[in-house]
Amino acid sequence: MKVLIVCTEKLPVPPVKGGAIQTFIAGAIPNLSKNHTITIIGRSDKTLPDKEIKDGVHYVRVPGGLLETYQEGVVNYLKNNTFDLIHIFNRPRLVLPIREVAPESRLILSMHNDMFKREKIEPEEAQKAIDQLDKIITISNYIGNEIVKLYPDAQPKIQTIYSGVDLERFVPTYSAKGKRIRASMRQKHKLESKKVILFAGRLSVNKGADTLLRSMVDLAKKHPNVALVLMGGKGFSDNRMTDYIAYIKAIADRLPIPVITTGFVHPDQIQDWFAAADIFVCPSQWEEPLARVHYEAMAAGLPIVTTARGGNPEIIEIGKNGFIVEQADNPQEFVTHLSKLLSSPSLCKEMGQYGRSYAEKNHNWNRVIDDISQVWSGIEYKIKNNVDISSTSKMNDEKEEQLLTKKAVAEKVSPLEKKHTRPKQKQPIKKITTSSIPWLNKEIIANKASNY
Amino acid sequence: MTSLEQLITPWDLDETLGDLYVPPFIEEMAQQVIKQYNFNVSSMEVITTKADKGGLIWKINTNKGPKSLKILHRKPSRSLFSIGAQEYLVHEKKARIPAIVKTKSGSNIVEMGGKIWFVADWIEPLYPVSADIEGAKLLSNAIGEFHQLSKGYVPPKGAENASRLLRWPNAYKKVVRKISWFRNVANLYSELPTSKTILNTVDMFEEQAKKALTMLEQSSYQQMVTKGNKEWGLVHQDYGWSNGQMGPGGMWIIDLDGVAYDLPIRDLRKLISGSMDDLGRWDINWIVGMLEAYNEAHPITDELFEILLIDFSLPNLYYKNVKDMLFEPTIALNSELDSVVQRIVEIDKTKWPILEQLRKEWRGGKRK
Repeated sequence: MKVLIVCTEKLPVPPVKGGAIQTFIAGAIPNLSKNHTITIIGRSDKTLPDKEIKDGVHYVRVPGGLLETYQEGVVNYLKNNTFDLIHIFNRPRLVLPIREVAPESRLILSMHNDMFKREKIEPEEAQKAIDQLDKIITISNYIGNEIVKLYPDAQPKIQTIYSGVDLERFVPTYSAKGKRIRASMRQKHKLESKKVILFAGRLSVNKGADTLLRSMVDLAKKHPNVALVLMGGKGFSDNRMTDYIAYIKAIADRLPIPVITTGFVHPDQIQDWFAAADIFVCPSQWEEPLARVHYEAMAAGLPIVTTARGGNPEIIEIGKNGFIVEQADNPQEFVTHLSKLLSSPSLCKEMGQYGRSYAEKNHNWNRVIDDISQVWSGIEYKIKNNVDISSTSKMNDEKEEQLLTKKAVAEKVSPLEKKHTRPKQKQPIKKITTSSIPWLNKEIIANKASNY
Repeated sequence: MTSLEQLITPWDLDETLGDLYVPPFIEEMAQQVIKQYNFNVSSMEVITTKADKGGLIWKINTNKGPKSLKILHRKPSRSLFSIGAQEYLVHEKKARIPAIVKTKSGSNIVEMGGKIWFVADWIEPLYPVSADIEGAKLLSNAIGEFHQLSKGYVPPKGAENASRLLRWPNAYKKVVRKISWFRNVANLYSELPTSKTILNTVDMFEEQAKKALTMLEQSSYQQMVTKGNKEWGLVHQDYGWSNGQMGPGGMWIIDLDGVAYDLPIRDLRKLISGSMDDLGRWDINWIVGMLEAYNEAHPITDELFEILLIDFSLPNLYYKNVKDMLFEPTIALNSELDSVVQRIVEIDKTKWPILEQLRKEWRGGKRK
């Protein structure tokens, strides 16, 4: 198929400036170009050309910043270019303007944040946008559930596809490569003898570094040997000292343990800090969609302490790859879980190893690529068979299953394979809604039921 | 890279260069910007700098009269919202606000160094109003007029939609949250003299903030804001005794850089509570005088008045003054903050009876 990927107006792809959505696109999409002709449209950036072809993928970059400005660029581009499928990322508000200039294209929306909230999009527009979509992919069950709460008829279109992590780049601390990086990072930052607790994210109220810092007051009494690393965003020495940064610096200054703020770390280098750490903590206070850092921590073989906020708990098996803080703003709960881990290096190791295997199994990019590929194949099938938008998922799944049992498999798959010289798939047709994490699929069904 | 390609960023972070210092590359840019206008500059004078943010104002004397040349520190799309508002108010509404001078090519702005620059008329003479109840009334009436005239503004293409209309609950939550930070920091620095004062007062003010939030949530706020940005109009956000001054033809309002859509009484609340702070106590006659003067230009509906009372109930003064302890607590908690807090507690005591009285006595835009 001829596919257009529409990024957001905020950050460029590839993720030269970071960004979860940008990482997702860069991690999964180029691999799909074996079977599809892919164009990625995104915002322009000084360090990137406005047009290029790289690894078989066409990149088009138009001015970004404001959604309105960006939308104009995307719409203008679509006036002169047609696609079978347009896969939009995280901007429900782009759906209708795109539909207007691409009346024949199939539209998919990938949701990474709660952008269907009332203050982000007018209910009427949201409903119309949903009607135009063949599929809504979400990065966590939480995000899907939030959409369904507001727009129940979106439900059959929704499918969770968890993001992935580069397992070569994020290596376990106990691997040979991990040990090398670890030793050099720890030496460089004078952490050789420390138990390093790692936080990764912006220093903002939502991300909760203050609660984690406050927990260090008591934790340091029991475990004087810890050091806390706050990686990313603005450091204490950054130009613009906000009230919040002043606040957490005021806490940090009173702690008997070292607190390192790294400031902005280039996306290419963040794995080094994961390799240097012993425990990863995500103290998020807001209903977070599902932070990528969890995958990165698991890949690095670190046990995780996270909060029961948004989608974060979805990838935690309690006591196996991490612990969940139920009351996100209670420092004492962090103390409890961290003490348990710090008191038992063998538990840390065991959980880290489990986390690594969990990431290998569930969050390798191939799994993400397969999931998207299947969604796209489903669309391709609908195009071939003139199945309209509204007869999606549930009904469609049933139809498909019927077709399968009636030996329609060959009809469905082979023409596509011929056309795109697609390599034989191991499993030509899986049910479209199948996630590779079966127990989570069950959970989303349960969650959804409870949301009504 | 030539100096003209440089980006303007904050230039005096440790505050050692002096208030009126301007980096040479910005001076050079100013010359380039001036070339784009149809006037000749005979002299220029730095009036004020926002060195920590990257903003600046010059007064320039030209063959076409005195003008101001400004660098707006906000990001360009945000600044365009404010410039658009200024143009709307001057041209469509004939408000007493300095007119923007266009460039040779007819543009309102010049973009250089990643910032928006613009030139506006320098209004002369401008006098601050008298620091008494009559002055306060003039200010109140002028901002009421501003609110009335700003209704209907639609920002130009390429501008952000700057609105605080829906953010009130979050702003209140922020106050509640930050007050709890004061407690946490005071506890960690408990040996310092002022920590005890903070700890003695923080519960009361936190309670006030929580109560104000509950009141806001129970008020008609949610329903009021559905009216929409354009219908409510703009709020100055930085209005007071220096940004409203007496000049040719009446009161002039200047420095519109921060304007945003909002409930209009936010400006009035700041103006009144600021005046009460200066006065050292809450005074019903001042407040009623200001409300009446405002009401003449922009009617205060009963539901708007309810929001005003709620906004008064927030511990604005405490929050604003104690906030600074988060920066360098070892200095702040050793300083005169103690007497500042004592004073705020005293002023606060006089506030509640007055709010009660206002609640009883003010209806339909006047005192009963």
